Amino acid sequence: MKVKHVKLFLVSVSLFFGALFLASCTPSQAQASKPGALLWGENCVRCHNAPSPSAFSDSQWEVVGKHMRIRASLTADEVDKIVEFLKMAN
Amino acid sequence: MRKVLLILVLCTAMLSAQEKPGESRFLLRGYAHSGVEVRGDETTFVGGSFNPIFLWRQSDKLLFEAELEVEYENGETLIGLEYANMSYIINDYATLRLGKFLLPFGTFAAKLHPAWINRLSSKPLGFGHDGVGPARDLGVELRGGIPLGEAKMTYSVYMINGPALNDGTNPNVEPEEAGMLLYDLGEDNNNNKAIGGRVSFLPLSNSSMEIGFSGLYGKVGSVESKYEDVAALLYAVDFSYVSKVSFLSGVVDIKAQLNGVRVDDASYFNVEDSSNYSFSNQSSAYYVQMSYRPVNMSTDFLNSLEFVGRYSELSFPEGALWTSDQTQYAFGLNYWVDWRTVVKLSYQFADTGAHESEGEEGEASNDAIFLHWAFGF
Ligand code: HEC
Repeated sequence: MKVKHVKLFLVSVSLFFGALFLASCTPSQAQASKPGALLWGENCVRCHNAPSPSAFSDSQWEVVGKHMRIRASLTADEVDKIVEFLKMAN
Repeated sequence: MRKVLLILVLCTAMLSAQEKPGESRFLLRGYAHSGVEVRGDETTFVGGSFNPIFLWRQSDKLLFEAELEVEYENGETLIGLEYANMSYIINDYATLRLGKFLLPFGTFAAKLHPAWINRLSSKPLGFGHDGVGPARDLGVELRGGIPLGEAKMTYSVYMINGPALNDGTNPNVEPEEAGMLLYDLGEDNNNNKAIGGRVSFLPLSNSSMEIGFSGLYGKVGSVESKYEDVAALLYAVDFSYVSKVSFLSGVVDIKAQLNGVRVDDASYFNVEDSSNYSFSNQSSAYYVQMSYRPVNMSTDFLNSLEFVGRYSELSFPEGALWTSDQTQYAFGLNYWVDWRTVVKLSYQFADTGAHESEGEEGEASNDAIFLHWAFGF
């Protein structure tokens, strides 16, 4: 049991720092000031490949937007801007 | 089966009837997958599964979601209800959900298991049926996402029927698995509801990293049995990191989750030798998965490839008749036809530790090669 815990701890620490290292080159920006296209690129790839705007029609994006807002606990502001962008770019 | 067809026909009719924009929006989506598996000297086509998903956006505040799972297994067509729930958006930070929903207990069950999302054809050890921790249940939930300047957090608190203890007294549910928890039974075995929740933090401003902590607590013993006061504490820690990495010309995706289950000690009856026994009832399972997709290469073919590796480990309590320690490695090569359609080739080998109880070393077994396709629509 002990060895397992140590292994797990080492795995977690290396995952965390590995990711921080990879992330260190991206500039920071407050969520609220980001445009929809950027939020789409950052958020819609976290669980699955991001769908392109042309995948759905305006009214379909409204349903998908609600579904993903709830499923992924995205913030209201993010989803509004992303759906706006998808409807404009499809 | 006929019922499902009828529902589908009705839905298609509703879809085509929607010509002028109104408040209400309906979407019929879903996914399907199947494949061929080679294990030892057995080669089989498997897993004809089809999962229609129904989404009704009733208004800006109301959404209904439901998913059916239609599976073909052992010559039978099985229909299951994956989830069916209503969400009411209270305000920017809180949504109320009621019904049967995928539990935010870690991320695998709620966000990563669908065949077109899971990078490998199999689930990690301990994350499928008879796993460590629940996937779905009936109840009520409050959830939301909150911006914190450059960072973000999400939360969920819920009350559900909760897991039930297999106390070994019901001959229909494997008495030799006494002490195991049973999930998603539909009806509760006591008045006590299980309470759970998850909080997660996305500390980086590009949302690329998420760390989540989940917990669930409740009584699991049947009312008016000697196990009435037996309770269980379940917990999970999850990690996700997805980002473009310029020096690799591609996207790196790391996912990991640890699940733990601690059930109060109790004494069970061994049907084989008519003795009573008890054990420290702790189980755990975890996996770490890394994938890399070279999306910025010069040819479409290379851009559509993806390489995946996963390690998972499962441990069931020592002293239980279902004691077990297993490890598994899985490696895969995927070809993405589009964002939701994938052909997955993978190889996995496991050390199931099956012979440890006889004092032998666990031997490598369960080697398998999978060629699956998954199709989202
Ligand atoms: C936290 C994980 C997560 C994030 C982030 C996420 N999705 Fe999803 N998405 C899912 C899951 C899980 C499903 C599958 C739903 C199911 O099978 O129950 C899904 C399904 C979909 C579908 C299929 C139709 C549907 O609604 O089921 C679309 C389209 C989609 N997502 C678009 C998006 C877009 C656009 C974004 C960015 C705003 C996004 N997703 C962000 C997890 C996520």
